[in-house]
Amino acid sequence: MATIDLSLTPVRKANELIRQYGAGGEDVQILNPDARHHIGVGLTHPIKVTVRGSAGYFCAGLCDGPTFEIERNVGWGLADNMLNGTVIVNGNASAIPGVAVRGAEVIVRGNVGSRAGQVMKEGTLLCAGNANFMAGYMMYGGRMIILGNSGAQLGQDMTGGAIYVGGKINDLGTDAMLTDLPADELQELMEFLDKYKVSFNGTFRKVVNAGKKLKYARSEPRVRVIPFFEASGDNDYWNAKVQEDIHVKAQIGRYRIRGYGTSRALPHLSDLAFKRDLSAIPADPDVVGKVNMKTEIGGRSGANPIKLSMPVMIAPMSYGALSKSAKLAMAIASRLSDISENTGEGGMSDEQREEANQLIYQCLAGRLGWNIHDMQRANGLEIYISQGAKPGLGGQLMAKKVTPEIAKIRGIPPGIDLRSPSRHPDVLGADDLVIKVEEFREATGYKTPVSVKLGAGRVRDDIKIAYKDGFDFVELDGMQGSTGAAGNEVLEYVGIPTLAAIQEAMDALKEVGGDKDMPIVLMGGIKDGADAAKAIALGARAVAVGTSAIIAGGCIACLQCHVGQCVVGIATQDPEHEKRYNIQAEAENTHRYLESLRWQMAAIAHAHGYGDIHDMSRGDLVALTPEAAEITGLPYAPEYRNRTESLLVAS
Amino acid sequence: MCGIAGILYKDTVAKADIGKALISMLDGCQHRGPDSTGFALYHDAVPGQYRLRFIVDEGDDIAAAIDDIKERLAEFQAQVIDEELVGAGFRLDIRFDGDLQKLAYEMEHAAKLSSIGESLDIIKDVGGAHDIDDVYSVARFQGTHGIGHVRLATESDVAPEASHPFWATGFADIAIVHNGQITNYYKMRRRLEKRGYFFNTDNDSELIAVYLADKLKNGVTLKDALKATIEDMDGTFSFLVSTKDEIGYAKDRLAAKPMVKYEDDNIIAIASEEVSLNKLFPGRALDTSEPAPGTFNTWQRSISA
Repeated sequence: MATIDLSLTPVRKANELIRQYGAGGEDVQILNPDARHHIGVGLTHPIKVTVRGSAGYFCAGLCDGPTFEIERNVGWGLADNMLNGTVIVNGNASAIPGVAVRGAEVIVRGNVGSRAGQVMKEGTLLCAGNANFMAGYMMYGGRMIILGNSGAQLGQDMTGGAIYVGGKINDLGTDAMLTDLPADELQELMEFLDKYKVSFNGTFRKVVNAGKKLKYARSEPRVRVIPFFEASGDNDYWNAKVQEDIHVKAQIGRYRIRGYGTSRALPHLSDLAFKRDLSAIPADPDVVGKVNMKTEIGGRSGANPIKLSMPVMIAPMSYGALSKSAKLAMAIASRLSDISENTGEGGMSDEQREEANQLIYQCLAGRLGWNIHDMQRANGLEIYISQGAKPGLGGQLMAKKVTPEIAKIRGIPPGIDLRSPSRHPDVLGADDLVIKVEEFREATGYKTPVSVKLGAGRVRDDIKIAYKDGFDFVELDGMQGSTGAAGNEVLEYVGIPTLAAIQEAMDALKEVGGDKDMPIVLMGGIKDGADAAKAIALGARAVAVGTSAIIAGGCIACLQCHVGQCVVGIATQDPEHEKRYNIQAEAENTHRYLESLRWQMAAIAHAHGYGDIHDMSRGDLVALTPEAAEITGLPYAPEYRNRTESLLVAS
Repeated sequence: MCGIAGILYKDTVAKADIGKALISMLDGCQHRGPDSTGFALYHDAVPGQYRLRFIVDEGDDIAAAIDDIKERLAEFQAQVIDEELVGAGFRLDIRFDGDLQKLAYEMEHAAKLSSIGESLDIIKDVGGAHDIDDVYSVARFQGTHGIGHVRLATESDVAPEASHPFWATGFADIAIVHNGQITNYYKMRRRLEKRGYFFNTDNDSELIAVYLADKLKNGVTLKDALKATIEDMDGTFSFLVSTKDEIGYAKDRLAAKPMVKYEDDNIIAIASEEVSLNKLFPGRALDTSEPAPGTFNTWQRSISA
């Protein structure tokens, strides 16, 4: 057995050594752990690690296969997201032990802190002592055994799995209920206790989901498609869309869920113009070769940056909201244009990984589809805090789309109206977030950039926090971004326009001196190369396109993404509908659209006399409306309104 | 957004290395807050003798500010024993036997007063625990108990005056360190302002300090005052409070902010993370516990009469 003394070896180096010993099949003991964080994170070999003392946060986090024994206590997030393996803690565990585990056996001989087993999916969490507040909060599966007493709100909003309590139950959380414990199940429990030599003489009570909140009583009806222009623009009073909202609510008796983003006219990049009269400049057919568009993002902390042939990414969209075919087409298009694709919430598929050259892997609060193996094969990681279309809210995936396959990848029960949690179990503030980011870096050997996706809300403060927490870059998402499903009023009235978001972000970064070293990727309603060039002139390092990319790939913008019966096979999991989608053809369509962005950006930069797209600056822009001028601080110049700003016309 | 730590030596001998202990504990959780660090340190009081700390801005105005401070002290017949200009601060030791709250409010208007006490000395500035020690020689401080804080500024500026600990403006010898957010801040502040209290900053931690001081002034015990805090304050919080001879904690009902404690016959130590406690006992697995959600407690020094 190898020995690592943490009073002599820093944790980062120790974890490298543990992984090396793991590869060689040699067990390890850790001396002088002194409650340090991240001990043993990212280990994927079946060795035994013995911690001679107490461990800090995320001990045995993001592992698959090993056995851990910790002689005394552990901090937050014990065995975070562990797939297979065993963790035994002889003392107490702090908050969220067994968070998001997907198969591991986690044994705590002492007490456990708040929210034990939050969003766990599979495996067993045993607490031989007492459990604190909200044990089993939002658990999706697996079993939790508490031999002592359980604190308040046991099983709050649990969806699946079972909790067995030997002691007193303070009270049950929302949608949890007591049920009978069959003899064979009791037998299995006792065998599990025997396996870990834990004695118990009392009586178990079993708590499961009560099934009252898993599905909406009535689903949204399918409605006729209204042309988007009838639902938007200046006419936002009793227009066709407003009437439709009322009709739908008249049937379902609650708020309306729908796909897409806001239909209201908001200040946007189209309210800015280039100072230079681009229409007067003849288009150069070889312009793409004359402007440097290559962009690297994410090297701030020394990780391998994401390399883009132009400052454009595909925005995060999930497999789940979108069909596998549509996700594949996005991956292929990203490869053809040599930019990056993003997994979104629903995990990574092998096909997607193979097709995309650069793939960003998104981590959401529910940890749906999250695992160490996909982390290690991603080119970038992204911690999703919120989304421009619905800041502060979690994702929604209606039952029609939660097929057995989707449920399996995400680790949730099939056929529920999935309402993803809005808040990460282990990120309740900027201070916790620092430790979470470090966990991801440890798990990927500090090689993979870690980014954060922020829905524009409290942009100024959030960007400063992102900078201080050491993120390699930020994906900033404005209100004009779309989503697969959200409450209509949230889409229309919550959020901060993309234009305001980038301005506030750049102001905040300047205040903390970070405008040169933390790149912002702006998204939310970017529809062409002119928008992209303006975003870059305002300070964004790159843009990401979601809605426009799927429109290029056949989406008809009918706002019915949530229904799950997308007529073009994009926002559906129904094989009959998905058949209508031609992966190769739509990948090529999307690729050609992406190339139009490249051409437009190059042409605009070239017309300004720049050899690099990143030479664009605020000085190149004016504001066409008083609102846009107020938001951006750019000069208000209404006289530019009549000028053509796109070279498309000139050519 | 931050990390907190506190330690109290229970025995009557008042010469413990409080400074060194808190430097280690805060260094242990510096990752939670790299922007600024602060200490509230207590030693045995010399009755009638107070230490005042002011934050003075850089530049030519320092001399004028100091003159102004001294002039006002003279008006109150306070006698200056010692003074020192160090780091971002100006320290004054005075002898005074008048109305302390009046003096404190008056001094507030003269300059940024960050601490006042017979026992208490608050040292805080931008930088890490060791950076502060380099400037202010915190490690040399010997005393009875203390609390400390590392800060990651989220909504307010990175500045010495926005750093923790906060003293209860107007009340000597009460300090607080806090991790979290009080969401009914303005409502609570307006209530206290209506009753004549003055606030030095927009920081929610100062609110907790003044709220507690007001209760203590009205004869409520620290324990009961902490209990009331859990009833009255909304939000997520884990905080430590210290007075001349006590140290206490309160934790909100959602338990969103971490806290862990270690107690033996000699000390009680509380911190955001166990890694800070272990800094006091390297190489030893500690028997620690986590305060439950919505709980509070206090510990008192066993003072001999």
